[in-house]
Amino acid sequence: MLADVTGETLRRWREAKGWDVPRMARELRKVARDSGEDVAAHHGLVKMIPQWERGGRVPRERYRLLYQKIFADALGDLSQGMALGTDFALRFAEVRSRAARLPSPDEIKALEAAALARPREAMTPAEIRAVAAQAIAHLHETADKLAELSALLGEDGPGADESGEDEPGTSPVRTSDERA
Amino acid sequence: MSARDDEIRRVLAELEVHVAEAEASIAVLKALLADDEVQVEENP
Repeated sequence: MLADVTGETLRRWREAKGWDVPRMARELRKVARDSGEDVAAHHGLVKMIPQWERGGRVPRERYRLLYQKIFADALGDLSQGMALGTDFALRFAEVRSRAARLPSPDEIKALEAAALARPREAMTPAEIRAVAAQAIAHLHETADKLAELSALLGEDGPGADESGEDEPGTSPVRTSDERA
Repeated sequence: MSARDDEIRRVLAELEVHVAEAEASIAVLKALLADDEVQVEENP
């Protein structure tokens, strides 16, 4: 499957995680260490990753396998959506990753409270409350759409919560459960 | 293209809109708070 993935996709997956190139290098080395494999030194990977992402070089098999382990979730999405075309699969993987990084309703409430803590020229308190309410409403819609999409794609149940992100507590899918 | 495929594409498009709208609203709130930090730096 990873043979189908372009350098541009590797870059998008990395950025979707919010990782810079040195972080990506650390993650590759961490997974390699966990599986007892030898890989290039950190500085070597920091040079190679941008080359892979630009398409100037193709990662060797051992690196492709490491990417596969790190981005198993994205590859799962890719495999799932590939029947609908690569463009669909990439869009799905990307939007799911972005959704998983959205703050929870409680975190949005905390932002709202902090924004309301002092008078502002840019926005009235009512406008601030409206923006926060809008954010939470879209968060709930996001959770609903993710569940709908998962059901349409034939995943097991509404638990599209296997995005594999670092902070599962921030997944908007949880907001559905919280509301229930 | 089947009706199911159309439905999946429609839901994905809606999902993208909601994620973008949520990100935009959150960015507005964060920008307000970022202004606070700038003001503290300018007038400590």
